[in-house]
Amino acid sequence: MYFAGVDIGSTMTKVVIMDEDEEVCSRIVGTTGAEHRRLANKVMEEALKQANLPFNEISYVVATGYGRVNVPFADRQITELSCHTKGVSALFPNVRIAIDIGGQDAKGMKIINGNLVDFVMNDKCAAGTGRFLEVISDALGIKVEDLGSISLRSTNKVKISSVCTIFAQQEVVSYLSEGTPLEDIVAGLHDAIAGRVVRMVKRLKIEPDVVLTGGGANNIGVVKAVRENIGCEVLVPEDPLLSGALGAAILGKETVLKALAKGEPVPKKERRLEEATFFT
Amino acid sequence: MAWFVGIDIGSATSKGVITKDGDLLAHHLLPSGTNYKMAAEKLREELLSKASLSQEEIAYTVATGRGANNVLFADQQVADIICCARGINNIFSSVRTVIDVEDQSSQVIRIDEEGRVINFANSEKCAAGSGRFLQVIANVLRMDLKDVGPLSLKSENPVTFTTGCAVFGETEVISRIAEGNSKEDILAGVYKALAEKICALVERLGLEEQYAITGGGGLDIGLIKAIEGKLGIQLLVPPYPQLVTALGAAIIAAEKCQLTEG
Repeated sequence: MYFAGVDIGSTMTKVVIMDEDEEVCSRIVGTTGAEHRRLANKVMEEALKQANLPFNEISYVVATGYGRVNVPFADRQITELSCHTKGVSALFPNVRIAIDIGGQDAKGMKIINGNLVDFVMNDKCAAGTGRFLEVISDALGIKVEDLGSISLRSTNKVKISSVCTIFAQQEVVSYLSEGTPLEDIVAGLHDAIAGRVVRMVKRLKIEPDVVLTGGGANNIGVVKAVRENIGCEVLVPEDPLLSGALGAAILGKETVLKALAKGEPVPKKERRLEEATFFT
Repeated sequence: MAWFVGIDIGSATSKGVITKDGDLLAHHLLPSGTNYKMAAEKLREELLSKASLSQEEIAYTVATGRGANNVLFADQQVADIICCARGINNIFSSVRTVIDVEDQSSQVIRIDEEGRVINFANSEKCAAGSGRFLQVIANVLRMDLKDVGPLSLKSENPVTFTTGCAVFGETEVISRIAEGNSKEDILAGVYKALAEKICALVERLGLEEQYAITGGGGLDIGLIKAIEGKLGIQLLVPPYPQLVTALGAAIIAAEKCQLTEG
């Protein structure tokens, strides 16, 4: 049996396909984009190709993330908080605090014995999300994926005093005009985003193990800044973007196994691999 | 016979006035740019040339605004809310609540009948409550900022924005355009969001008439109508809303001068 998790984030679409031993046989990360919001089927096709499987071999599909309703071929939709908790707990059984820095939001989850007990979230303000770095790297004329390695050269990071992304962008430009080295500015930006996220997550009382996921965890500069701001070790999975999709696939497997154990039919939907015809 | 100068170096625009016996003799505005010192110098040159005066004839200069410390020729720096309060009191003595909407911040100031500050509230952490939000949206819509207000008044069905964030607002505007909403409905929605932030500041201080609007926001009919509608009030608009704080600085300069001479 094979299970698929589809995580449609605001910025990236992630798909994981795994077998019943939770062995991952396909992992795909694609951009969500305005045009592609309804094209989850394309990413799924890519994932099936990688796993060398036809769609009807997939026993169960769970969709998650903010675009989860745009996955018409999913058997079930589950919130990203549940899927993240599941995915992160599978990778790090001792996780207590999971922090996810996504493209347009950031969240902190308190997890005890694999269960979500509390969470905090910001999706109202771009500061403290990936969008902050995107907007500013644009102003700096550098690629967002290069920020991490640039920041590691810093010896004297600047203090970004603006909270607001738009004001910070202007602050960065004035640092540049004063001749401040780029790496010190970028390190300051990482500290700003980490500081904001950690302040929010502190409401959950931080205790180890702490795990960082999402696009933010792909940036070594952000990981370093989160470590410094928390003051303890921060674990990062090999594929930080995939924990939500992985959790979705595992929750799909559990749904099927539960039904089978009870001798009930698996609650599957009539589904075809097609694009979404509606928007939300 | 004495001339006084008020210089207000704001985050986007630098404003300067010369007064004589309490009357506005000359004024000038220019973009602040990234070098506040240069902006201040240029402002002084322009003001003196417009008033046909030399620097020696200026009795006292007060600098205010975000870049006040960069005005090297000033005799004194005074906080902008104090200057704004004095300036509006000079124009409309009946005003007790001033709503000052600038590029990077908005502040609401409660003043007494002498133009003294009693209390104030400001939003300077977030672009969502300031003129910058409008600038961001005007850029997305490829519109000139001065056309945005009048167009918004034609809306019959303003859109609702789910977050107050200017960055996310930009994304939302793009989605709304894709969904086929008209420019006027989008803009009216932007004003509604902006007015909500600003009116929350007013409500924090408690409502007290009469009300005036100053700063760049005072030039924006869309914002004025949105605030008036939300609070159910009338806003007085001075003839040069952006100059009120600089005018207040010049008035304070005249008082300081009398004090030192007396």
